[in-house]
Amino acid sequence: MSVAAGGPGGVAISPAKILGLGLLGLILIYTTPFLGPVFGPLLAAIGAVLAIIWGADTIRRVASYGLGTGVPSIGYMSLAIAIVGSIAGIAGASVLKLDPLLGPIFGFILAVVLGAIVAVLCKTLLKMKIPILIRGTAELSGAAALSVIGFSAAIAGTFSFAPIIVGGTLYLGIEQAVISTGFIALLFILNTMAIQHPFNACLGPDEDQVRTLKLSVATGFIAMAIVGLLSVYTSKAWWLVTLIGAIAWFIAIREFIDASKESAASVKWTGLWPKHEEE
Amino acid sequence: MVIDPYTLIAAVTVGGVLVGGGVHFIPVGGAPAAIATATGVGTGTAMLAAGSGMTGLITAAALTGQAPWLILASGAVGSMLMICITMLVGNLVYVFGVGCVPVSAKVDTDPITKLPQEKFVTPGTEGHGLPTVCYVSGTIGGALGGIGGGLVYWALYGALANPIFTLANRTDLSAAMVAGIFALSVFFVNAVIASYNIGGTIEGFHDPKFKRIPRGIVACLIASLVAGIFSLFLLPGFLGGI
Repeated sequence: MSVAAGGPGGVAISPAKILGLGLLGLILIYTTPFLGPVFGPLLAAIGAVLAIIWGADTIRRVASYGLGTGVPSIGYMSLAIAIVGSIAGIAGASVLKLDPLLGPIFGFILAVVLGAIVAVLCKTLLKMKIPILIRGTAELSGAAALSVIGFSAAIAGTFSFAPIIVGGTLYLGIEQAVISTGFIALLFILNTMAIQHPFNACLGPDEDQVRTLKLSVATGFIAMAIVGLLSVYTSKAWWLVTLIGAIAWFIAIREFIDASKESAASVKWTGLWPKHEEE
Repeated sequence: MVIDPYTLIAAVTVGGVLVGGGVHFIPVGGAPAAIATATGVGTGTAMLAAGSGMTGLITAAALTGQAPWLILASGAVGSMLMICITMLVGNLVYVFGVGCVPVSAKVDTDPITKLPQEKFVTPGTEGHGLPTVCYVSGTIGGALGGIGGGLVYWALYGALANPIFTLANRTDLSAAMVAGIFALSVFFVNAVIASYNIGGTIEGFHDPKFKRIPRGIVACLIASLVAGIFSLFLLPGFLGGI
């Protein structure tokens, strides 16, 4: 990672604005139970995409100092922390017989706490020299937790860990809809890719925040499209989530390719290799 | 079988420490090894942990309901197999594809085979491929990681499984999945903490960086302890719930 060891490059969008975007994601996820079986999952998925953008920007800030282990490692670690935190939080709200609405915020807080503890250990015990490691890892764990919770809520249609009946409709809980089906393992890798890929792909001397974030919008929305397909059995809104995810992905990836072409000195199609070795 | 909360915390902590310690044994070569200019498997810790850790958890989960030592042994065998296959195929590529000799630049003679190393190292590189000592070290690391992952899975499944299922000798699927994903997450957290400790690359137990293992183990111990305490939130009946 020597090419990107000097801290982040130019910042067009401040970390505070991105943090606000992530918290907007949390609010969108929270509207899920109140909007019925169609718009609820849709907004939960969009909230998760906003969290992915937040995570991708945070990884850009932390990993630009050079972790020594590559960008993906911190992505995997943040999702692992997020899954420990969000499952403990959502299950905790059910086990403690609290309102299931407390689950997501509880999971978010647990993930941030675990992320901060791990970062403090890395900084004090392992002597890592990254100035923003603690804040970055805590933010990243929180963003990853929101992305897991948002996509889980989009699949299950509810935050409840156990199945519930609302207005005559049976909602499978997160446990049945997301964990027993094994989708949680898929979300682990899917969200890791969506969060770590943008910076991992764009890092280098001419890295540009807006371009990296355009790629993170694309990875977030394609993850959303896949989540829509996963929820075929559990959600009435699966087609809407997939369709909006796919359209938004198309727009974002086109923007990203345009931005890449614009920053390139020149773009040439090399064609296929010649039939005969040229002299 | 019902696991009490203290056993659960202890098992998650010990499992996490075993994973974190095991990673120090695995020859992680990183990007330099991917172009055959350093000893080790040419990828990062997170990828090796994903491969061998997931295999170990799947083999451990395949013996759900059996005696604990069988689950741990099965996890160890699964992880060892996966890491050994990875190292073997890596060596095939390095030897027959790249055309270099598996050799370590960190020691003058291989501590196991006593073969000289130094004169086979290409000047300007840190060694290539996976010599015998790295292979043995990686196998030990796979075993420790598999036992650690299996221990976390065994304890969580025992704590979560509905007694009705266990009495009928059936697997409680949702408990198995919750335990599995939680064990996988604990595995990843500790694998990455250990990889931060070794600064990304290590050759195995003969590498000077291996001396950093106490620090890594303390960090993994604390992080796993916190994860173990978080796992209490999953338990119905604890903390005055259901």
